[in-house]
Amino acid sequence: MIQFVVDVLIRAVDLALIAVGLSSVYSLIRFPNVALVQYATTGALLALGLQLAGLPLIAAGIVACALVGLMAVVLNIAIFERLLCAGSAIAMIGSLALSMVFSAVLLAVAGSRAQRFEVEIAPPLRLLGARLTELQLISIGISALAIAVLALILFRTDLGRCMRATATNPVLARATGIDTRKVTNTVVFLSGVMAALGGIGLAVKGEMSAQLGPDILLPVFAAAILGGLGNPLGACAGAVVIALAETLVTNVNFGPLFGQPVLFIPAAYATAASFLLLVLVLLVKPHGLFVSEVKRV
Amino acid sequence: MFEFFVHVAVMACLYGLLALSLNLQVGFAGLVNFGQIILFGCGTYAASIAFSHQLGPLAGIALGVVFALCVAAAFARLGRNLGADYWGIATLAVAEVLRILANNETWLTGGAQGVGGIPLVFAGISRPVGPLLTLGLCLALLLAAWWLCSRLTASRYGLSLKLMREEPLLAASLGYDLSRLKIQTLMVAAVIAAAAGFVFAHYTTFVGPDQLVSSETFLIWAMVIIGGAGTHLGAIAGAFLLQFVLAFVPFVKDALGLPSEYVAIMRMTLIGGGLLAFLMWRTQGLIPERLGETRRG
Amino acid sequence: MAETILKTEHIAKAFGAHQVLADVGFQIGSDEIIGLLGPNGSGKSTLLNLISGFGGADAGDVTFLGSSIVGLAPHQIAQRGLVRTFQLPSMPHRMTVREVLRAGSRERAGLLDAFRRDAGEDNAEELLEQFALKSVAHQPASSLSGGQKKLLSIAVALRTHPKLLCLDEPTAGVHPLLRGHMVDLLKAINRRGVALLVVEHDMHFIHELCQRCIVLDRGSIIAGCAPCELAQNERVVEAYLGKSLERQKVLA
Repeated sequence: MIQFVVDVLIRAVDLALIAVGLSSVYSLIRFPNVALVQYATTGALLALGLQLAGLPLIAAGIVACALVGLMAVVLNIAIFERLLCAGSAIAMIGSLALSMVFSAVLLAVAGSRAQRFEVEIAPPLRLLGARLTELQLISIGISALAIAVLALILFRTDLGRCMRATATNPVLARATGIDTRKVTNTVVFLSGVMAALGGIGLAVKGEMSAQLGPDILLPVFAAAILGGLGNPLGACAGAVVIALAETLVTNVNFGPLFGQPVLFIPAAYATAASFLLLVLVLLVKPHGLFVSEVKRV
Repeated sequence: MFEFFVHVAVMACLYGLLALSLNLQVGFAGLVNFGQIILFGCGTYAASIAFSHQLGPLAGIALGVVFALCVAAAFARLGRNLGADYWGIATLAVAEVLRILANNETWLTGGAQGVGGIPLVFAGISRPVGPLLTLGLCLALLLAAWWLCSRLTASRYGLSLKLMREEPLLAASLGYDLSRLKIQTLMVAAVIAAAAGFVFAHYTTFVGPDQLVSSETFLIWAMVIIGGAGTHLGAIAGAFLLQFVLAFVPFVKDALGLPSEYVAIMRMTLIGGGLLAFLMWRTQGLIPERLGETRRG
Repeated sequence: MAETILKTEHIAKAFGAHQVLADVGFQIGSDEIIGLLGPNGSGKSTLLNLISGFGGADAGDVTFLGSSIVGLAPHQIAQRGLVRTFQLPSMPHRMTVREVLRAGSRERAGLLDAFRRDAGEDNAEELLEQFALKSVAHQPASSLSGGQKKLLSIAVALRTHPKLLCLDEPTAGVHPLLRGHMVDLLKAINRRGVALLVVEHDMHFIHELCQRCIVLDRGSIIAGCAPCELAQNERVVEAYLGKSLERQKVLA
């Protein structure tokens, strides 16, 4: 049972980081940026490259996150500010197009073979009966810390207040002297950092490949949408729900339900389960499970 | 070389059908469908199932229409109360779930290996004539779909779609049942896409899940946007342009002496970069939608 | 008054803790022109939204042509002949004025009608003439001025052959010279058997047009009388100008 909780947690934290980034940007500029999952891959690739260049993993990670954050801001100014003038649907298709360009670049740089970070392989720790490597523990810690810091920024600082003001009513926020563009770009920077951190987390525990971005696209979106797009903390809850669904589907013996001794759902359906969950939730609750906004007529 | 041109022209006609179908949804009804490729898959898998279960091609066509109508109904049901961005992601999720199903339910679909040996159209006719006849068939289908789509969009029905696209509240206040308009549009579009899929299966003689990856959807999107969303001629022009440009990618790769993965890289760069460039600098596409084109009366 | 076309009873609506409408009930005859008045924030637009299906009431019943329309979707209500316009009409930018007007009628607008040869009758050109939109018929509808958009939204609503037309501030932004023309136009529409419910601030317009007025204040109906009696109604004057005591202070 504890093992199960740990498995869910390991999966949830990385998804949560990227989903939180997606959701906070959505709250400000009302379009889901599909390219964010590619920022995550870029972060992982940069960190890997920096590590190969001789930097320790932690330093490589910090530099990679900062670089991806900057890249997110530059792309937002160069591309999305312009596309958003034509509407949020156009911006969303634009982010898809950008995502394809990213795929091409990542494939060219990283090659089609999967690569791994150089980390010491330590025997797994035993924690309340669950197996857990030191690396996983550190990764969970860092991710949880990052989310906590973001939550503090959102709810305890001036930037957070400005951000929520901008999210609720950009025109009014501008009229009261808030530099909404600066607020937006700060949040875009933070979202890039979060995405890169999530990408590094995924790559450290598994593999780094150009396929990472497309693979996590739907789980991340499912988490963000379940949490209600634009509600960053809801995205965390959404990530837990998605991780739970994926882990349940692959780890639970459904045999007794159908009068057979053993019946496992094929692992290939783990991702399908989260998408299906997303579709079902959208059928019943069109704005996600944890909606903070009051729906307007 | 001549046969290669015929082949590319056949593919351009089939993708022209897909682009017409997507354009009807996106360009006229404002439905941001990111699951378009699965409508094509309805046709390919109908052909494959009809072949591997020895049902005959007529049953295959019927099956394709039924599949397409079912998926269209599911998309429309999801779209009843979702915003455009949520719906886009939801359609992407449905398409992925169905592709994963096709990949794993080997007894029905042939699984990851797919089904080969599907009989060729005009199989009995010798080489230069057979492919030419196929091209003729595809051209005839394309022209028929073009006629059907222009007839629809030039009528008052087309006006109501445009009104829904631009001002859904106004359309509802005038008594238009938006869910009904959406489901009708999706069903017409789905049957056109499935027809393309059915002919595709009998042309390439192979059906597999890798033909249904979501990047194919984005290729069709690029055709519609580059050609000009909201004009049928634009969609067809986009399909021909991209098919012919992409057909030369392998030759360029050989000429530059690049490794084989550069075919994928160059394709993605062309599709993503082209799409992005048009969105940023020429949103209306090569052949822009004209105001007031609809027939009087 | 001829037979009742619309009847509302005990309508209530709250947004959170704020009670916007409380126990609102009134009737409209099938040949009437009714003005719906009230200060800003008195609940007029909310009431219009509830009647036309753009938002659900917390309680109460709305009967249109003898049957309840509570819980119906906006398009179902419109199909029964209750059509409304919006206070700030937003118009398509990739459709011309003429196209929008033609799209207003759902006759011959079905999927299969696209394959019929004859397109049916069309009064779009007459309406363009009547509403002074002929000269801009080929322009994108979004390029019209606020007043022209108002005119177009009324014209397009007429294309549906409504039995009751609810207009949300039809004269706001319309050129003063056109307002007189609009009174004549609306009266002519009414003579053809269309009942009108008009939300309006312009008292002069109301006097010219309406036979009867309903006055809302803070979510309740405080008066129902002919326009000329409004000035004598203590509660109406109070609602618009504040309590008599405060008013005396202001005057003093």
